[in-house]
This record gives sequence, C-alpha cells and structure tokens, in this order.
Amino acid sequence: MASNSSSDKGTRNLVIVMVSFIVVVGVVFSLISNRSSSTAAIPASVSEADGYGIVLNPEITPKIDVYVDYQCQACKFFELINGDYLNEIISQKKAKVVYHPMSFIGPESALAANAVACAADEDKFMSMNLALFQNQAEDRNTGKWTKEYLALLGESIGITSSSFKSCVSDGKYVRWTSNVASESGKADVNSTPTVFINGKILDREKGEYGDVAKFRAALAASGIK
Amino acid sequence: MLAKFKLIQPWLTLLARLILGGVLLAAGGLKIGNLQKSAMSVRAYELLPTDLANFFGYVLPWIEIGMGLLLIVGAVVSIMGLLGALIMLAFVVAIAQAWARGLSIDCGCFGGGGEIDPGETKYLSTILRDLGFFLLGVYLYYFPKGRFGLDK
Repeated sequence: MASNSSSDKGTRNLVIVMVSFIVVVGVVFSLISNRSSSTAAIPASVSEADGYGIVLNPEITPKIDVYVDYQCQACKFFELINGDYLNEIISQKKAKVVYHPMSFIGPESALAANAVACAADEDKFMSMNLALFQNQAEDRNTGKWTKEYLALLGESIGITSSSFKSCVSDGKYVRWTSNVASESGKADVNSTPTVFINGKILDREKGEYGDVAKFRAALAASGIK
Repeated sequence: MLAKFKLIQPWLTLLARLILGGVLLAAGGLKIGNLQKSAMSVRAYELLPTDLANFFGYVLPWIEIGMGLLLIVGAVVSIMGLLGALIMLAFVVAIAQAWARGLSIDCGCFGGGGEIDPGETKYLSTILRDLGFFLLGVYLYYFPKGRFGLDK
C-alpha cells in the first residue's frame, strides 16, 4: 500500500485537474454560445434594438411585444383566441407589433422560428404564424416539424418562391433564434406566451391572455383600440 | 454500537457519495442540453437580478456536473460534501421563498423549470427531497473517508 500511495495521489490530482478543466471549458463555452451573435443572418424585418424580434409596422408608436414558442400549447390558445384581433391591429396600423419566436422547448421550436422568419422575408409572417400554431403537434419535439414539412406548410399557404424554400431548408435564420433567446432572457421572459404593451407585462392571473375581451381592454388601456 | 458504525461508515460514505454525486451529475447533465431553459428556470425564481440569474443558469449545470463527478470517484469528498450541502440549502431557500411568495414555478432541478400552472407546483416534496440531499452532504463533510474513493 505504502509504495502505491504517491501514484494514488497522482491519479487523484489528475482526476481533480481533469474535472476542473471540463467545468471551466463548459462554463466558458456556454457563456459565449448564449450571447447574441452579431454575425448571425437576420431577416429584413428584424430589429436588433427590439430584441432581435420580427417587427410589423415599425413606424407606429404604441408597441406590443409578443413572446411565443411555436411548440407551446398556451401560445396556440393565445393565437386562436386573440390572433384575429392582433391581425386587425397590425393591418389597421394601430400599433407596432414585435414578435419574438423563442426556442426553449427544443430543436423543433428553432426550426419553426426559422420558418416563420423566412416567411417574414416574403411578407407572410402573420399567415405562417397562424399556420404553425394550427399545425402544432400533440406533443413536443415529436419529429413532425422537419424542414421539409415546414417548407410544404409555407407552400400550402401560398409561399411558393424558391427563396423561401431554400431559406427553410438551409436553416438560414437558425442562428438568429439564439439571439432572440438571449435577448428574451435579458427581457426576463420566463414563460410563453408573454406580452408587453409599451413595456408593461400583461397579467396572467387576471386572464388577460385567455379572454379576448380582457385582452382588448388591456390594449385599450394603453391607447390601442 | 460505535464499533458497528465504524465498520459500516466507509460503506455509508460510498453510498452517500454515489447518491449525491449521481443526483448532481444527472441534474447538471439534463440541463446542459437546453441552457436557455436552465437560465429561464433560474429567472423564474425572481430572486436574482436578471443578468445574474442568466449567468447562473448557464454556469450552474457545469458546477453540478463537476461536483457530481468528483463525488462519484471520491476525490475531495469533504469539500464536495460541504459544497453539496450548501448548494442544496440554497435550493431549499429559493424554493421556499417562491412558495411563500405564491409564485407558480417548476423547480427546474432536472431540466424543465419556468412558470407553470398553480395546480402543478410540488414545493413541499421538492424541499423535503433537497433536505435529504443536504443531510447526505453534511454526512460526507464529517465522514469523507469511504470505500473505493480516490482520497486516501
């Protein structure tokens, strides 16, 4: 035993050094990879100043920020309940609306966010937004939302250009989704859907997400009616 | 009684190391695949300033992995036991304050996390579980010498 003790000690120290190394490398890698990347390709309608969100009606002043994850079921209900009214606000230019497609639920959320960004480049953001929620899988990351599926989904709502198809299949804006995620974190968004009206968060407990009358009232209180 | 404890103590230490180390390794490993979610679950406690919460969300999983590995192989067991106890105590405090303030969050202990429906919270069972891990950490701090460990 005694003759082995120095080599035992060496093994122990080596293990400690290796584990510390793994931790340090992991930490550094995580901190760097979760920062917004200035080299990521971003859609034309995206504004860095608006948290890398997709901006509709950039010139109008009251501002609505909508944070969703396309795989989140509560977001689907929010869209089905309030989507028509939001569409009306956008088409009648009553507010600037910024969509932040998050991807914390998993890889298919990032693919969906990429596809909706590709649609935004074709001026079809709102239709793709709705189509995604209408075609949400029963569960998360089931394998339903492949690039091929999402390209076909766009085609089914009339986005037929080859630029859209290649944008979806190349995952052109997948890196941008990390920027959205990082900025959503800085905005302290902890669940989806989350909506801010002029920076003021909608109250979940008062039912302002799940009831269109309350949603309208909350918007009206900020002068959007 | 004391003689008997002396006999089984190294085995108890091994068991405590494997449980606490395994739990930490699993907790960290399940988080590193989705660090966005990890940061989100730390933010949801509404305890730290947002930037610091995000920082912890990215860093904590790696710390847990490191501590878990060292406990499993039995290196620097005493310090890891103390750190493990402290980290578990911090989790208990964080969960208890979320409960007391009426937040509806998932602890995010093993991935997951963030705001959830009020009916889905599991504060009490999580606190009791973490207190158990806290006791294992305390035990390892006082009895770090066990079977099959690198510490001699």
